[in-house]
Amino acid sequence: MMKEKVFGKIFPYLLILPSLVILAGVVFYPIAASLLRSFELEEGGLGLDNYLYFFTDKIQRDNIIYTLQVVMITVLLAVGVSYFLALYLRFSNTWTSRLIGRLYLLPRFIPGLVAVNGMITVIRDSGLINRISRLFGLEIKLGLMYNSKGIILMNLWFNIPFATMLLAAALSKIQNSSIEAARDSGAGKLQILRTMILPLTYRDIFITATFVFMSNLGSFTTPYLMGGNNPQMLGISLYSQFNNGHYERAAALSVIMFLLSLLSAVVYVYTNMKKSEWEKGNG
Amino acid sequence: MKLLSPRAFYYILGKKGFFQYLLFAGFLIFFYLPLMNLCMLAFADKYEVPAIIPQEFGFKWWGFVLEQRSLVSSISVSFFLAIIVTFVSLAVCIPAAYALARYEFFGKRIFLLSFLLSNAYPRMGLYISIGILFYKLGLMGTLAGVVIIHFLNSMMFMTWIPSGAFRSVYRQQEESARDAGAGPIRTFFKVTLPLATPGIAVASVFTFLSSLEEAQGTLLVGFPQIKTMPVELYGVIMEYPLTAGPVLSLILIIPTVLVLFFMRKYINADSLSGGYGVK
Repeated sequence: MMKEKVFGKIFPYLLILPSLVILAGVVFYPIAASLLRSFELEEGGLGLDNYLYFFTDKIQRDNIIYTLQVVMITVLLAVGVSYFLALYLRFSNTWTSRLIGRLYLLPRFIPGLVAVNGMITVIRDSGLINRISRLFGLEIKLGLMYNSKGIILMNLWFNIPFATMLLAAALSKIQNSSIEAARDSGAGKLQILRTMILPLTYRDIFITATFVFMSNLGSFTTPYLMGGNNPQMLGISLYSQFNNGHYERAAALSVIMFLLSLLSAVVYVYTNMKKSEWEKGNG
Repeated sequence: MKLLSPRAFYYILGKKGFFQYLLFAGFLIFFYLPLMNLCMLAFADKYEVPAIIPQEFGFKWWGFVLEQRSLVSSISVSFFLAIIVTFVSLAVCIPAAYALARYEFFGKRIFLLSFLLSNAYPRMGLYISIGILFYKLGLMGTLAGVVIIHFLNSMMFMTWIPSGAFRSVYRQQEESARDAGAGPIRTFFKVTLPLATPGIAVASVFTFLSSLEEAQGTLLVGFPQIKTMPVELYGVIMEYPLTAGPVLSLILIIPTVLVLFFMRKYINADSLSGGYGVK
């Protein structure tokens, strides 16, 4: 009996052991190693110079500000549009909404490189849109390549389906009956949205925003193919630090990006904790 | 022509219908036009300004792509790798998913959050640091190294989605199997696992597809010994962006579209969102 009890205590640890070993090997250790490396100076010794470099060098500082701007705009637009789209998918039952419901998940699975290449064939200065505009005697040049607008457009392409997926799942938890009840008691559409649907999905909106923020902060493929040279997104800047052999600086930049991501993850963790407390309360 | 004017459309469909069509058209143009254009350009032999539809269609660039030995072999490498990664992740993550669903243990929360950690750290930075470690261990340019990188990317949803699936299996069903005399192992394989299969299948598809498209990590850790399709595509897009690029892109999308089509019953917002802690 005693033996069984001890085994019951150990058993879950045995189940997670393989995952834990791999996490330790390829997540914990490398992160710790690069944290240490970020304090090593190129000329020997330890110090904060690698960090200071990114905040004192004008180009690097601009890169950080630029990246944060692009990512914040992406988060706001992606979450906003996705919330609208998710509402539409949840509460409208027409053939258009059903068809969009069928089609919107595909982009989530399209390889990034393929999607960027496809978008470039449409929006570049001699791309499809320009060619179509010539039919009407216009010469539309979108000017979306090699600047932040193109990156944001592409980020939206990737993140709207993803965010819509998360938000649609959140909205599907809201019962039709509770909405009908609110409507019966005389609440208008906007009022229902504001006082009922939004509060019920706050947590999911934050989670979605966190994931969109994190995945775009370090994005590489899109800015690599569509972005300009100055200012650069941090993913590119990290890559070039590494390519030029500045391993310590690359490590410091990774840590800076990690801290920025963590800021957004704090919101996620906080909302998640609250949820578990609520679950406990309900047994 | 007059019938096609937006105004006529507006009056025929009414306000609500009109905006729905507008939304639908916007959706299709934004998300599907780039892909459609790519499909068309894959069969273009001649596509010069100002043509919208290529002047000449043909298979010139397909010939070019398929003639290159390394490109063809990269296709089989990609699929082989994706299959291995899927099985490895199943073997490692399913037990952990079960533990998270059924047991309370010290450190559970920290374990859950550590998946988030791997997402919060910039991918490129993590790959670089892993690369340095792999270099010391002699894993650079090996299949094992690349499998580990791909596995790392799918670890979170491969644990979270099946964990949600296990949680939704009623304990009573397991208990009644136990009462009928089945041992714990038999109960798991005959009752719990089959009931959780849809969730596990979705996670496996996700893993398979994300392994198929992974490029950055493979490039850093596996290149030049392990060349997958996306890695080759990087090179091709840099060299021949408008000619061979679409062909290789199309080859890369076909498996994705097929897998999604056959799995469409299981793949939906609800099943996938579990991988991000929303459900």
